[in-house]
Amino acid sequence: MMNEMGKETEGFTSKIKLRKSKKSQKKAVKSLQSPQEQELLSQSLEDNENKFRSIYKDCSDVVIRSFYIGGKDNAILIYIEGLSNTQEVDDSVLSPLMESSGEGNDQVKSLINKKIPVTSVKEVKTVAECISEISSGNPVIVADNQKTGLAVGLAQYEKRSIDEPQAETVVRGPREGFVEALSVNNSMLRRRIRSPKLKLKSMKAGKYTETKIVIAYLEGVADPTLIEEITNRVSKIDVDGIMDSGVLEEFIEDDPYSPFPQFLETERPDVVTANLLEGRAAILVDGSPFSIIAPITIYSLLQASEDYYSRFLIGTAIRWLRYVFLLVSLLLPSLYVAILTFHQEMIPTTLMITVAAAREQIPFPALVEVLMMEIAFEALREAGIRLPKQVGSAVSIVGALIIGEAAVSAGIVSAPMVIVVAITGVASFTIPRYSASITFRMLRFPMIFLAGTLGLLGVMLGIILIIVHLASLRSFGVPYLSPMAPMKFNEIKDVLVRAPWWKMNTRPHFTGEYNKSRQADNQRPQPSNGGDE
Amino acid sequence: MRCIIRKKTVKRMAEFLMCVIMPLILSGCWDRIEVNDLAIVVATGLDKTEEGEIELSVQIVNPKSMGSKSEGGQGGGKQNTVEKTTGKTIFDARSKLQEKVSRKLFWGHNHIIFIGKKLAEEGIRKHLDFFSRHPFTRLRASVFMTNEKPDELLKIEPDLERSSAEVAKDLAMLKVGLSVTAKDLLDMLSGEKRGAALPMIQIEREPPNTEGLKIYGAAIFNNGKMTDQLDDKEVRGLLWIRDEIDTASVTINPEEGEELISFHIFDATSKLIPSIENGNWKIKIEIVSEDDIVENETKLDMMNPKIIEKLKEQLEKQIVERVKLALEIVQKEMKVDVLGFEEAFHRHYPDEWRKANWEEVFPEIEVEVVSEVKIRRPGRSTAPQGVPENEVIGN
Amino acid sequence: MIEKGRISTGQMVILLYPTVIATAILLVPGITGKFAGNDMWLSPIWASLAGCITILIMAQLHNRFPRQTIIQYSEEIIGKIPGKLIGFIILFFFFHSNGLVLREYGEFVVGNFLPTTPLVVVIGSMIFVSGLAVRGGIEVMARSAQVFVPIVLFLFILIVILLIPDLEPANLLPFFEKGLIPSLKGAIVPTTWFLQLFAITFILPVLKKKEGGMKWGMITVFLIMVTLVLSNLFTMLLFGKLTPTFTYPIMEAARYISIADFIQHLESIVMAIWVSGTFIKISVFYYVIAVGTAQLLNLQDYRPIVFPIGGLLAVMGLWTAPNLQQIQHFLITTMPFYAVIVQIILPLLLLIAAVIFKKNTKKIN
Repeated sequence: MMNEMGKETEGFTSKIKLRKSKKSQKKAVKSLQSPQEQELLSQSLEDNENKFRSIYKDCSDVVIRSFYIGGKDNAILIYIEGLSNTQEVDDSVLSPLMESSGEGNDQVKSLINKKIPVTSVKEVKTVAECISEISSGNPVIVADNQKTGLAVGLAQYEKRSIDEPQAETVVRGPREGFVEALSVNNSMLRRRIRSPKLKLKSMKAGKYTETKIVIAYLEGVADPTLIEEITNRVSKIDVDGIMDSGVLEEFIEDDPYSPFPQFLETERPDVVTANLLEGRAAILVDGSPFSIIAPITIYSLLQASEDYYSRFLIGTAIRWLRYVFLLVSLLLPSLYVAILTFHQEMIPTTLMITVAAAREQIPFPALVEVLMMEIAFEALREAGIRLPKQVGSAVSIVGALIIGEAAVSAGIVSAPMVIVVAITGVASFTIPRYSASITFRMLRFPMIFLAGTLGLLGVMLGIILIIVHLASLRSFGVPYLSPMAPMKFNEIKDVLVRAPWWKMNTRPHFTGEYNKSRQADNQRPQPSNGGDE
Repeated sequence: MRCIIRKKTVKRMAEFLMCVIMPLILSGCWDRIEVNDLAIVVATGLDKTEEGEIELSVQIVNPKSMGSKSEGGQGGGKQNTVEKTTGKTIFDARSKLQEKVSRKLFWGHNHIIFIGKKLAEEGIRKHLDFFSRHPFTRLRASVFMTNEKPDELLKIEPDLERSSAEVAKDLAMLKVGLSVTAKDLLDMLSGEKRGAALPMIQIEREPPNTEGLKIYGAAIFNNGKMTDQLDDKEVRGLLWIRDEIDTASVTINPEEGEELISFHIFDATSKLIPSIENGNWKIKIEIVSEDDIVENETKLDMMNPKIIEKLKEQLEKQIVERVKLALEIVQKEMKVDVLGFEEAFHRHYPDEWRKANWEEVFPEIEVEVVSEVKIRRPGRSTAPQGVPENEVIGN
Repeated sequence: MIEKGRISTGQMVILLYPTVIATAILLVPGITGKFAGNDMWLSPIWASLAGCITILIMAQLHNRFPRQTIIQYSEEIIGKIPGKLIGFIILFFFFHSNGLVLREYGEFVVGNFLPTTPLVVVIGSMIFVSGLAVRGGIEVMARSAQVFVPIVLFLFILIVILLIPDLEPANLLPFFEKGLIPSLKGAIVPTTWFLQLFAITFILPVLKKKEGGMKWGMITVFLIMVTLVLSNLFTMLLFGKLTPTFTYPIMEAARYISIADFIQHLESIVMAIWVSGTFIKISVFYYVIAVGTAQLLNLQDYRPIVFPIGGLLAVMGLWTAPNLQQIQHFLITTMPFYAVIVQIILPLLLLIAAVIFKKNTKKIN
């Protein structure tokens, strides 16, 4: 803990240095700190106390407690209510200090060693350091006639217990997900990768929030230039605050105008672990249970963690199912419009007659009908997320069953259309990442328009536009469509199929180039089957 | 500075949207047509009037009649509508037809073309062009000849199927008689092949008060004009030669008695092997077929190899006879090559073929028919059923 | 160098293949069928020789000027003004060809699928889409090609497989009815398509590895030849003597597919997927024009001139010929000479000049 804290401040100061060199743009950060915060702690306790009192004016949650060390030396203890373990502060800090026999003017060092039975105790020299420790929940002791204070690592605050991730459920596989507390998330990663090669590089962003950001990577596996690039991009951020990894994402992605996610967001430590092992880096943000992983390709967005835990044949089949339904969710409504209003000869005659009969009474053109239904569906989906859980189910029942049924029987929409919209909706939910599925869902609206104007040609032009965009997209230097384009034959083992684990001997092309070999060759199980006796 | 850039990009994006999206929406949808506005043509009839004009009749599906049940009672009415006009060309007639039909005539689902007798006799070649040029017609449409008025056929309301078009389509698919698509017909009429054959179709009114269609025989075209007709039996022979037999049944009378044995032919192929020796044009028709026994009225034991051998010989003879019957009529009497002989000679003897006058050569070609039958399985029973064991022959 | 991207030799093949195939597969069976009759499947084999010659000349020139395109080294070989003139002729040729390709594409789509849609919309939308790809650079085009070409190939193989029940092998006979002459005659027009591999001069300088450019160029020729032979063969086996009577025999074949009475009339899907191949072709030509113009005018970047060139291309596409008949006539009569002069004779003269004057690039970077 101590080690980590030290690193944090180190990172923070180096960031300031960097920013100073980065010209006028970064002035804002400096001006936020009042001049008194820059100062060193003074010799006189009274000065210090006054300083802290003025800094923490009107902060009702900050407690400044005066006491005597060994009954004679004046001292104050500063902490924030609810961020520190007060029980522990009483038992291991206040009581030993107050009850100490008082062997003269102990220096801080000896105080730490002799009196405070807490693992992580640290000297602080400046007011700014004190503030940062206090904000993290570590009580700070400042004593009279001492140039340095003591930060005691007794931070403890309320956090959500580890839960099953809501957005990424699996049938088979670990069920724990990240929580909002960064230290817990770090510990979950550390539990999975015990090697000291797992680096959790700490940074801060946000003028007011001073949000902790951890860049996790495996030393020797991840390309150092990648880590350097991520560090650079993160350190350039100068904003009021980072509320979630989603905010961070927008500041460090490659193409800010693209509708496609350029990070893989996940709540699952096992997914992060797997990606770290493939040479990628994960960014964890304090206060957000979603970590983001970079660099990624479009295929990473379509892989669920369960693919790797179930049998590889099943995993491959499921993967293909997902690819097919990805296309369905993007294209089905536009294909329906294109074929129904432009290429009627393509539909088999009997089906054509059935559809014609169903549409006979419908007052709207097919294009309008599709748009209406798709927008209604999106509204239902959005309402389902926003509404309280108890109401949500009611909405889905009313929406899906009653509105659909009523619309068909009233002759406002045709039954085939309802089927198309329903399949499209279901299809989009097979994409394991929410950010990817919502992208494809939204892209289908322009596609419907194109289909309504130019038929299948329009659909194709739309597809070409999307592909050209995807081909020009890069996530931290990795082409978004690789390994299909540019083609890497031996990488396809994890795209077109889910190769058995004992076949995946090399890391993926772009991220794993730094350290190619992943495991020993020839690990296929070769059981020796004896006779039947 | 960043602010300026952002403003610029926003402005750019707005311009982009204006330029790209707006024309698409504003100019609307040139070729878009709703299904509600289509008149789906499923069958076309062509004939000639006494005045020499093309008579075009179409069968249009009436989707209203098939409304789903939930709409309750809105359906009804006839399932198909037949419309008819005349015009100078097919497309001219179509344009006139459009004046009568409130929806856009759509040929994309036209599976059937009925050709009337008068048109057939005056030549069909020039009228088929429409079906290979118009963007929405199908080359796979089946073509039939009829002696009746094509629009009468279209008006039929069959018992099993929804429309006469569907009956004709299914009959063509079953390959009970000749089955000719528009592409096949174009192929037969084009190039050096002068002869063509089309299946004949007629209205079937048996039993009374029902309506249906029936394929009966074939029409023979010479130079695009109908010249002769073949009856059903002769057509079967023709199919054998043209290698178009799909499944067939052959019945023989093995013991000169009342009892018969029926065979189901499930695989038959025929080959034309041309040869020219000393100026003698010869062709050998090799027919190989595989048969199952499906019905046995006799008391013969179907498991006896000797009996099977005998049956095989009789079967082969039967097939050869069928083929000879068709040959006699087509080659000697009609003198129209619908058999594919010319193509065979052209392919194997291009030089001789070019020098010869095919119309003179064709009737003189010496034809040898060789049939090979393989009796594969006796069916589910071995010995004849319902016959006491001691009466079974060859047991 | 204007282009900063680098592509692999495999990407070069996948970029050049549709550059030739896209329109060839539509028009070549009909045109060769007219001249070669039964032996039309042989014609692409003769025609592919022209492709080999082009690749050979371009590779030789490339060896002398490894990081330059023909626009640049023609100036070095024969001096500034004549060099620029040659560059202009070549660019104009590409400009004209791309106009023709756009028009062929437009005519095909409008004539078969969208009869009342204005040609300018069909051509314009394609130019817009390709313009975006060209702005993305050679890497983006190559990656897009890697996505689309497998789909186009899959489609081609699918058509072939679905048509197998309808094929008639006897349509091939008799072989060489009138000797080899008809098949050679039929080879003249496809030659112009093989000559389009000339565009390789703009791709060779941006290859990651310098070696192997020629080898893979030849492989491209071979692949194209095989594809054209197959497409000619299959249309012949399906339609026999009807083949030359159709404008687009392959499309007619797709139209003829019917499996189980349910999968039928696939031509619209075929058209849509074919459009993706055409997109690559138009983009490659477009790219050549944009980069070439930038080099001719000594510009720093070609991106700003992409869309202005696109506007000119649209006009070229619309004005190049009054109708499809004129285009076909042009392709059969004028184009072979035109293409041979610009794409073989000009570079050959340059090569000879370079050999005589012993010109090489000054420094290899």
